[in-house]
Amino acid sequence: MRPLAFAAVACSVWLASGTPALAHHSGAAEFDSTKKVALTGVVTKVEWTNPHAHFYIDVKDPSGTVVNWNFELASPNVLIRNGWHRNSIKPGDTVSVTGSRAKDSSNYASAGEITFPDGHRLNFLAAEDPAK
Amino acid sequence: MTKRIVIAVLASVCALTAQDSSKPKTGNIGLYRNQLLAPDGPAPKLADGTPDLSGVWLGGGASDADISNPKSLKPGSEVVMLPWAAELVKHRQSKEDPEASCLPGGIPRGSPYPWRIVQTPTHYFILFEGNIHSYRQIFMNGKHPDDPDPTWYGHSIGHWDGNTLVVDTVGFNDKFWFDYKGHPHTEKLHTIERYTRTDLGHMSIEVTIDDPGAYAQPFTTIGHATLMPGTELLEYICQENNQDLPKLSGPARGPGGQ
Repeated sequence: MRPLAFAAVACSVWLASGTPALAHHSGAAEFDSTKKVALTGVVTKVEWTNPHAHFYIDVKDPSGTVVNWNFELASPNVLIRNGWHRNSIKPGDTVSVTGSRAKDSSNYASAGEITFPDGHRLNFLAAEDPAK
Repeated sequence: MTKRIVIAVLASVCALTAQDSSKPKTGNIGLYRNQLLAPDGPAPKLADGTPDLSGVWLGGGASDADISNPKSLKPGSEVVMLPWAAELVKHRQSKEDPEASCLPGGIPRGSPYPWRIVQTPTHYFILFEGNIHSYRQIFMNGKHPDDPDPTWYGHSIGHWDGNTLVVDTVGFNDKFWFDYKGHPHTEKLHTIERYTRTDLGHMSIEVTIDDPGAYAQPFTTIGHATLMPGTELLEYICQENNQDLPKLSGPARGPGGQ
């Protein structure tokens, strides 16, 4: 790998792994970074809103019961500048999502990485390839 | 320590990557990736010789996690709270932060969102994209009213000291927090901001905070803003869908829990 290409990859890994320094509230006051979730489901709703965008997915639990989860993203102004589009995730999409669960243990989490069946990824803060 | 070294090396590599990338230069600015960077060049001036601060900027505020962090203070400056203020900070809760309710962060609390300065002959305006979507107005060469009504952003008057814009503000209410930790202030708060565009793409901002109602001595924060020539302000109406507030719990603290 050429040094510059390696540097670009290293930067994106570093930036994707950092704790987003996002206002308007303390992330640690809302989410428990030790309570990781990894879920796959079908998107039921997207809220392209402030102070955070949200998307909801239906997930089947081990007993077959469908549970709806709410995942929080950064705000649209941040996402747009980082390569997201309001239609980057749509109702009907099947996605696998990692994240940190809310401290109150509700079905609510801060999204980490979102992976689509074709392998392309988005995260809380950015599209995998902001140029797209 | 190892983590710090890795981060420092990655930061250097990222900076080099930004410099070596396609022209015009692009790089990361704050949270924002692959942004157009300002070319090298001197700080511009208006036709009449007044320094031109206009543009979309990012950063420059004090640490929004903790204003007493030495990294956001001028060397030699120290935040010394009066006993009542220190006691209050001990008991404040995250959900009580006005910013969590989409109310202003005041001065000089930092924010991850861009802001714009607009200069007219009589008024300068600071337009905030976020935290909150609002504005400040600075009356150039004006006078403070004798008895200003206490407000979130206070009453600001400005003048030029050489190439530095000096903004003097009084008339604050006592509601906003200086940071996530909950450093308070009173209506006696008086701020003096000094904006100096050091070159085309950068501005230093020093803010002296004098509040004898809450602090034993004045202190000065320092910040550095970066021009974002490739972006415009976007809408950020925080009140629209604030699902977070009822879910916040625990003592007031920074974004990462520090």
